[in-house]
Amino acid sequence: MNISIEFYASLMKYLPPGQSRFRRDIKIEDGLLLNRLIESYHISPAEAHIVLVNGNYVNAEQRESRELAEGDVVSIWPPVAGG
Amino acid sequence: MNPEQKERFARHIRLPQIGEKGQQAILDASALIVGVGGLGSPAAMYLAAAGIGKLVLSDYDIVETSNLQRQIIHREAAVGEHKVESGRQTVRALNPRCEVDVISYQLEGDELKRVVSSVDIVLDCCDNYPTRFDVNRACVATVTGAAIRLEGQIMNYQPAANSACYQCLYTHAYGAEESCELEGVLGPVVGVIGTMQALQALLILAGQGEAMVNRLLLFDAYAMEWQAVTLSKNPGCPACAKT
Ligand SMILES: [Zn+2]
Repeated sequence: MNISIEFYASLMKYLPPGQSRFRRDIKIEDGLLLNRLIESYHISPAEAHIVLVNGNYVNAEQRESRELAEGDVVSIWPPVAGG
Repeated sequence: MNPEQKERFARHIRLPQIGEKGQQAILDASALIVGVGGLGSPAAMYLAAAGIGKLVLSDYDIVETSNLQRQIIHREAAVGEHKVESGRQTVRALNPRCEVDVISYQLEGDELKRVVSSVDIVLDCCDNYPTRFDVNRACVATVTGAAIRLEGQIMNYQPAANSACYQCLYTHAYGAEESCELEGVLGPVVGVIGTMQALQALLILAGQGEAMVNRLLLFDAYAMEWQAVTLSKNPGCPACAKT
């Protein structure tokens, strides 16, 4: 099935090759769990600080059981504390 | 409000969302700016220009040449001065009616709690987790900004609205803080985030903070994308969860 991933800021380096600076359309197996998707790009839990599916925040606990669906857009942001 | 103030703040007063009532609330308000660097520069300047009654500037750093590319409250002539003294001069030049207190050493522990509790709103413009956690735990309306490289985040804590707090999202320190010194930062990125902090603070002070309760804004300048996220209170929050 088809979904889109968006890796922002310092996480862009984990994107597979492609055109956009932050977004890729990818194919995944049906029902893949959100955390398995994140792990498959070697993004650590600390780096995947803010995870959204279709713009809605999914907390760390929910990521373990959240099944992805056709057309989902998964956005991931790192923590930022500097200034 | 006297005629001089009515003229000076006419463009605010003209806005139905602010009006004389909102402007008066801003004139009567005090704010603590924690960190007079890249974020604190525009935050302090916009609050002073907007007529805030009193600013407390807190920072223990000295102005360095490498700050000038982004910390626009500091002028080249201020290199070597305390940031809070340099900040006070710029603020007073913008608006002599704004009272300015400065704290030129590390604000921590009971004193931090006391100073935070003495103001109406806090703008957390610092660069490290321990200070952010301490400010958050003092439980006063706070607008928190963070930025580095080409990315930034803004969130706010409105205890009166029982909103999610900073530690609902940042439950613990996520590794060592990355510093702008090591990582770099494009000047206007801190300008955008610090300005947004001032904007949110003014709306909260004017009684218009409702739309930003539980709202986290994420900014990626390289992608040129913003994302707005709705948070909820974290039942496991180390700061605000009821035990
Ligand atoms: Zn909390």
